[in-house]
Amino acid sequence: MQLLLPYVLAILASFAAAGIFIAAMGFNVVRAYETILFTSFRTPFGFIQTLTKFVPLTLQALAFTIPLTAGKFNIGGEGQLIAGAIGATVVGIIFSGLPALLLLPMVLTAGVIAGALWAALPAWLLYRFRISEVLTTVLMNFISFSLINYVATEFWPDPAAGHPTTIPIGNGGTLPNLISRPPLHVGFLLTLLVAALVYIYTSRTVSGYELVATGANPRAAYVYGIDVRKLSVLALVLGGALGGLSGGVEVAGVHHRLIEGLQSNYLTLGIMTGLIAKGNNLAVPLVAFFIAILEVGASAMQRTMMIPGEMVIIVEALVVIFVLLSDVIGRR
Amino acid sequence: MNTRLVYMKNIRKTFGDVVALDGVDFELKPGEIHGLLGGNGAGKTTLMNVLYGLYHPDAGQIYVHGKEVQIRSPRDALHHGIGMVHQHFLQIPPFTVAENIVLGTLPKWERTKRLDAAVKRINELATQFGLEVNPSDRVEELPVGVRQRVEILKILYRGVDILILDEPTTNLTPQEVDALFNSLRLMVNKGLSVVFITHKIREVMSVCDRVTVLRDGRNIFTTPLSETDEKSLVKGMVGEHLDIEHSFLFTGRLESSEGTTRDPGLPLIEARNISVLGDDNAYAVHNCSFSVRAGEIFGMAGVAGNGQKELAEGLLGIRALSSGEAIVNNQPVRKGKTRDILASGVAYIPEDRLEDGFLPRASVAHNLILGYHHQAPYQRRGFLDWKTILRVAWDLIREYQIRTPGPEEVAANLSGGNIQRLMLARAFAHPLNVLIAHNPTRGLDIPSMEFVYTKLMALRAQGAAILLISEDLDELLLLSDRIGVIYEGRILGTLEREEFDKYTIGQLMAGIETTNSSTRYRKTKEV
Repeated sequence: MQLLLPYVLAILASFAAAGIFIAAMGFNVVRAYETILFTSFRTPFGFIQTLTKFVPLTLQALAFTIPLTAGKFNIGGEGQLIAGAIGATVVGIIFSGLPALLLLPMVLTAGVIAGALWAALPAWLLYRFRISEVLTTVLMNFISFSLINYVATEFWPDPAAGHPTTIPIGNGGTLPNLISRPPLHVGFLLTLLVAALVYIYTSRTVSGYELVATGANPRAAYVYGIDVRKLSVLALVLGGALGGLSGGVEVAGVHHRLIEGLQSNYLTLGIMTGLIAKGNNLAVPLVAFFIAILEVGASAMQRTMMIPGEMVIIVEALVVIFVLLSDVIGRR
Repeated sequence: MNTRLVYMKNIRKTFGDVVALDGVDFELKPGEIHGLLGGNGAGKTTLMNVLYGLYHPDAGQIYVHGKEVQIRSPRDALHHGIGMVHQHFLQIPPFTVAENIVLGTLPKWERTKRLDAAVKRINELATQFGLEVNPSDRVEELPVGVRQRVEILKILYRGVDILILDEPTTNLTPQEVDALFNSLRLMVNKGLSVVFITHKIREVMSVCDRVTVLRDGRNIFTTPLSETDEKSLVKGMVGEHLDIEHSFLFTGRLESSEGTTRDPGLPLIEARNISVLGDDNAYAVHNCSFSVRAGEIFGMAGVAGNGQKELAEGLLGIRALSSGEAIVNNQPVRKGKTRDILASGVAYIPEDRLEDGFLPRASVAHNLILGYHHQAPYQRRGFLDWKTILRVAWDLIREYQIRTPGPEEVAANLSGGNIQRLMLARAFAHPLNVLIAHNPTRGLDIPSMEFVYTKLMALRAQGAAILLISEDLDELLLLSDRIGVIYEGRILGTLEREEFDKYTIGQLMAGIETTNSSTRYRKTKEV
């Protein structure tokens, strides 16, 4: 439990700090926090919403932490999500007649591949020209915004929608629901499976070992025969694949079509999740669940109490800061 | 109290859990060279760092000239006439000798005018104490021995009467060591006192008047040299841990090598006219050729920074060979082939263990298998066999006495000496045909050094080829079958064991090649 203490303290500290602002704005702090923390558990709908939000958060966080293990920073999670969503939608619409047994795997795979490719360009630029992936992954995000707008308005647009959106993908491409009322799609289980696989990969495979070694000391890893340059590429592409998967799941499980803006603020939340988990792949799902609770609570708080939902982002950001600070303090 | 220049009483210093100094008394008389002798980790440098104000003691008092003083920083120490020369010189390479010596003494507005008087004073001191320098030489062009003189002159220039030298002979050739000792005698004759920190008994025997032996942070004894001998000093340094009669320190040779005449086999390391570029894009290794045969230890002698690291990295495929070819363990060496080379039965102990061989964030187990993680028995079909890895890790932790709670602990918690033991464990954990070791015993205490030497000799007996690169000439003389001397990336000479002579090797280390009829002296930085 020694390990949990800094987290608990960080959470308390950030709640306290934000609470001061909430009170200063004239709102009821206790009710605010009550709403944030407990909305998820008050109704079945709230809980399902939390689990639904959990999916992209976890995948985005892993898209960030896998490259982080090798010492690389993937800030392109949302571009990879969008690329994955586009890939999934394209396949889902073109092959919309196919049965679920074929279409669903195709849709998800298309998402993964599209995301991996979206990260492959920055990875190649890093490998060949040593261009920082921090720059290139971010810039790819902007390209993806234009791309999704183009696809949603020029290719199979839905004329009835007031916002760039495509027509729905074929029925076979949608993720079935685990629970119908309220609807929770299978993506939830898929995410847990992926998180487990990621953990197994980094801790139990030779390739995962090399990733860890590269991140711990790239020079020493190189001296002892590890091809660190290739591994950096692999790490980024894997991150991109997960980002793409998150996009594919959003399309197949939540929207069933491509909607501009579907990336929401998952990148920011995903990176924050990864940072709070300190890059530990086992902790990511737990932290993601916690952030999901806060996010659901934030919407509710905004609806019922008129407190701007951004307060929750402030709380989450403060948690990140306090957790990182606790690292520094712990070292003394 | 009047005959004591310095008296350190009951000094205690801890760093966290580690007790570096456990109530140490130390006294220095005027006009003496006082040797402070001990193995790695004994506390010698720590004690002097306290005297020089770099550390504050947890308890104890310091008296200078009979009066108690508080030394809170080197400035205080210098004020009391105490100066220290460290192993790592604090010099500005592009500045001249004179500029480096006066650094920190001149009031800023007089900087441009005052150097003449300074140069005059420097020359006076240099002549007085046999520390010949040219004040207008740029420090970066000078060999290590001369740079050390600059470092000493820096202290003398400030007018001290107590000079502390921390392992001053580490990077010196035997001739430079003699010159240093001469200078120390001159200083003492003029009334200075010198504290000479070292782990080398022979040096203490040759230049010191009195000696204090430290071990595990305690003063074991202090005695005039005339009343002691090598054996007692060894006993003091090592205590009861070692079988003194057979220790290499005392006998000057290794038990295990007696009675085994080796017939070296086929060459397992072959370098043919290899050249390797250094980090600054200049050639660090020029056209080197040599070979190391199975069952042989080839010692590479040389002052640090003459291309040893680049040579080792070139032979292992870590650095590209810009010309020539090398064959290690019957495999042609090419950049990027390090994995295959290691996998065939080759191990490397790099000199800079932290930068080149250590994964701080990962576990001890991760570190132990680095470089061999993709081989059986550690892996099967792409998956790591953690059960085997942990079992082997526990065995290695025990055998090499790595002080850690367990293999799953974060490696960053290991202390320096234990990191070195980990590097050794990693290297020796598998059957080897070839070992390239660069300063393998650095930072180790005496029993550990003995352990390493025994391992090396065992490896040799098993028929491995060992390239031992070391800056410790005594170590090389003890272990090698042949010694090659590297200077500015070239091998200036190779000697067989029967021909070993410290001074001949020292000349080669200084770049002096004696050809049949003439002696050529090579200037340090050929442009």
